[in-house]
Amino acid sequence: MASSSDLNAQIFQRLHPRAYLERFLAEQVRPDGREAEEWRDLFVHVGSVSTADGSALVRLGDTTVVCGVKAEIAEPDLEQPTEGFLVPNIDLPAMCAPRFKPGPPSEEAQVLSDRLASTINATGVLPLSALCIHPERAAWVLYVDATCINYDGNAFDAALIAMVAALKNTTLPKATFDEETGRTTCSRKIREALPLKRLPISYSFGIFDGSTVLADPTAFEEPLLDASISIVLDEHGSLLSTGQLGIADKDKMSACVTAAKERYEARGREIYSF
Amino acid sequence: MAQSGFDRRRVNGPSESFQPTFDDGLEESSDLYDNWKLGEARRKRHPGDIRPIFLQTGFIKQANGSAYIETERTKIACAVYGPRQSKSSSYHETGRLSVEVKFAPFSSLVRKVPIRDAEDRSIANLVHQALASSVRLDTLPKSVIDIFVTVIECDGIESCVAAATVAASTSLAKAGVEMLGLVVSCAGAVVGEDVWLDPNEEEARLASGMLLCACMPALGVTTSVWQTGRVLPAKALLSLQLCQDRCSDIHQIVALALHED
Repeated sequence: MASSSDLNAQIFQRLHPRAYLERFLAEQVRPDGREAEEWRDLFVHVGSVSTADGSALVRLGDTTVVCGVKAEIAEPDLEQPTEGFLVPNIDLPAMCAPRFKPGPPSEEAQVLSDRLASTINATGVLPLSALCIHPERAAWVLYVDATCINYDGNAFDAALIAMVAALKNTTLPKATFDEETGRTTCSRKIREALPLKRLPISYSFGIFDGSTVLADPTAFEEPLLDASISIVLDEHGSLLSTGQLGIADKDKMSACVTAAKERYEARGREIYSF
Repeated sequence: MAQSGFDRRRVNGPSESFQPTFDDGLEESSDLYDNWKLGEARRKRHPGDIRPIFLQTGFIKQANGSAYIETERTKIACAVYGPRQSKSSSYHETGRLSVEVKFAPFSSLVRKVPIRDAEDRSIANLVHQALASSVRLDTLPKSVIDIFVTVIECDGIESCVAAATVAASTSLAKAGVEMLGLVVSCAGAVVGEDVWLDPNEEEARLASGMLLCACMPALGVTTSVWQTGRVLPAKALLSLQLCQDRCSDIHQIVALALHED
């Protein structure tokens, strides 16, 4: 009996996802058992990938993102001769959810990469001048590549934390530029951590049915949302950036900022304390 | 060296960048086999020992079957979707097995530019060969089973293929796909007179030849053998035997991981 009612619920969920979610929310609970403003557990582990110069694994509920930093050396841009490069990308491979297809990055992955890159650059996580080895001749390029292993919604929050944690875990060998030979050599013994200026944390919310604010939406909830709002705070809890995609009442943004700060007060301080 | 070229679908770095060179000139940072000479014993492990295997199933919630395998530094995640409807319009009497292997850009010492290159495809082919004869594809007309493998960290390419095969077969079992038996795989490196099982990257570099064997220990049959390098036929057969013996141990680990679920 139990299995047939389980199956009926599954069929109902597939055929009428919106009605399914509405009935849950009418009872003040979400399909995964959380309340509307409740977050999933966050787990951060750094340094597990030894082939990378820095790495992090982040689990947000079932969403799992691995991020690795690889450092290479390049000639700086002519217009910014004293700056290095920070190149963040995220991959949503076909492995992590059935709706992603193999091949080049999907539109969703491209948008996500772009949002992550602009957040990391605009919030000044790492001053690019710190990556300069020798002006006009040599600078570090940090390829920050994140891969989603298991997709269950809110990849932006998980990926941003994974990228920042991987950067915090990164050490670069001490590099010296020889002006006579024009070559850069690195020391095997001395490695230095990156001088990170800010450690942003993102908090994303979904607006369902114009009124309900759902914190940390899952893969099932995401396609049903009217709008999604991301609030980025720094490691002291001050507001760094906000973003909204879709239509929502104007009071929703400030409600989300308040909710994000509350969440920061509850769990935010320990995220990057490794 | 990464010559990425401009790709508007990704965030781009500079047009050219190079791997750092170190003052002591060596490419590798590890010194496990410093001053090692041919004929010396294997360091840290007995020749017949494999690295401890950690295997977990079902961690990708939306996949029909999934597995994560870790053997010391090698880390591989695998997901199976299907059997699902084949997208191609032509009719197939039997089901098809599609394998895709992807290396994370940070999975090896040299950064992998995220472009599907020949290496990924040849590895996917090896995994496909190892598995193809174990799956009852004749019971699944018009359908396709997608196997996606992501290599998070790779330490020895042959052992990586072996681990990927184990993870893929475990995922298939987890997905409830009808199979004749579980496929497990093990690599053996011929170093001098010895055969070192499950070699890591450094050991693979010392080897004169390599043998990769995939088999179904429950039925006592081999599904795929892949040999490279210079090896005497007798040594190749010895490696095959040693790999097969070790495979029955790996089979138990897989069975246990599936049973625990």
